[in-house]
Amino acid sequence: MAEARAPQKSLPKINKVDQPYWEGAAAGKLLLQKCKSCGKVQFFPRVACVDCFSELDWIESKGTGKVHTFTLVRVPRNPAFKEEVPIYYINVILDEGVIMESRLVGDAKEKVKLGDRVKVVFQQTHDPNIKLPCFELAN
Amino acid sequence: MRRKKVCFVGYGSTEYSRKSEASVLWYYADAIRDALRQTGLHKKEIRGLSITTQVSPDYSPHVAEQLGLEVDWVLNGDYGGGGGVMSVRRAADAIECGHIDVAVLVGGNSFDRSNPTQRQLEYQRGNFVDVYGYGGPNSLMALIQRLHMTQYGTTLEQIGKIAIAQRDNALNNPQALFREPMSMQDYLNSRMISDPIRLFDCVMPCSGAECVVLASEERAKKITDKPIYLVTDAEISHYQVANMLPDKTTFGMKVVGERIFSEVKHQDINLVEIYDDYPIAVMIQIEDLGFCKKGDGGKFVDAHDLTYRGNFPVNTGGGELSVGQAGLAGGFLHVVEALRQLRGEADGHQVKKAERALVTGIGWLNYGRNLGTTAALVMERR
Ligand SMILES: [Zn+2]
Repeated sequence: MAEARAPQKSLPKINKVDQPYWEGAAAGKLLLQKCKSCGKVQFFPRVACVDCFSELDWIESKGTGKVHTFTLVRVPRNPAFKEEVPIYYINVILDEGVIMESRLVGDAKEKVKLGDRVKVVFQQTHDPNIKLPCFELAN
Repeated sequence: MRRKKVCFVGYGSTEYSRKSEASVLWYYADAIRDALRQTGLHKKEIRGLSITTQVSPDYSPHVAEQLGLEVDWVLNGDYGGGGGVMSVRRAADAIECGHIDVAVLVGGNSFDRSNPTQRQLEYQRGNFVDVYGYGGPNSLMALIQRLHMTQYGTTLEQIGKIAIAQRDNALNNPQALFREPMSMQDYLNSRMISDPIRLFDCVMPCSGAECVVLASEERAKKITDKPIYLVTDAEISHYQVANMLPDKTTFGMKVVGERIFSEVKHQDINLVEIYDDYPIAVMIQIEDLGFCKKGDGGKFVDAHDLTYRGNFPVNTGGGELSVGQAGLAGGFLHVVEALRQLRGEADGHQVKKAERALVTGIGWLNYGRNLGTTAALVMERR
């Protein structure tokens, strides 16, 4: 019982709207929504296009982009993440033209600067069915 | 501009406490009692009630029952830190329409652990932030502050000056939980929370409540000889929501400011009460409101004395940074402090010429951008 009560790292509560995104991530693909009518690409997943309210398709992102801004989280909201601080929490501008909030991982992360190129990597969570899209410095 | 004149006729505050587990209902009652005492109103004269909180045991009609209020208008003023200004706007609308002539608006928080619905703020986009070990509002403001510092050359000293000036303002405010002077070294050396956000950039969560009373002009004149007029007010929610590459260093306050300052002039504002969950948020709002150009907030801060004695008084009672943030009472603290100033009741931190004040509220942190709700109002003594 004590084990069940220990804090667990947050996992997505997957719903009908974002399910394709998480299925894509589990298969090593970063999926974004694209409007069937006007072609707008958007993130995070929603139920309608933020420009014209039409229905949406999914497209695969190239998974590349640049660091827009970042912070080193020393006090995560969920204490289960404490063992991992500082967490390099980033905003990435994907090459498809959307901002994505994520995490920078990899040995070189301490060198990060605004504008650095990054590429997606998929990190296994403690749930075998869920992978998290994170980023590493490119090159 | 309001079609009909609406006035603030009074306010009430509780003491703030870092640990109190008194019920949040007790805090509401204490703040309302304080306002009734000041205005001489009887409880039966309250015909409208708005509640703004994260921890209410239930929604506004339930709170009205608990407080024993039969009302013609009730509102759950659920707009995050924008809840103070935005509830004032809703109540002013109802008064202007003639639905009610007296409304009481309350914001409050407590650490009552017996309350089963007490919870941390939930972010509906948790699937896309919490999974990465997000640090909450501290991290969001850190992302914004780093961009501001990098794009505009804003320094930690410029940002720190805001926190330090507000602490100076708090020294003689008995409500403030922090009444020790803060030096630049204290600010710079405070513990890193989410780089570049430090401990002294953050508010102290606490228990407390704030209350304001609004009335029609006709009614206001019978209640007080110090009515404070609501001059103009504006809001926008989810500015830039459809922009996938938003400017993170510009809040919806830019649009709000354009609306407000089409009605009044910058130089006619004597003091500003700017929602201060973080000093960087104050600086960005000073820019967005047009007191200086975008990116010049640091220079503006350098060039002005921000204390209640100064040439640009900001958060004259210490703001949430020095008083404490009693949850969503934070958005009301600024309205109440402006009323104290304009009524000449800010003992020990009174601005000399306090005829017209600007008050802002911001709240509801959103994904990839900054603030979901932004609102402001101007009030004046006539
Ligand atoms: Zn579209």
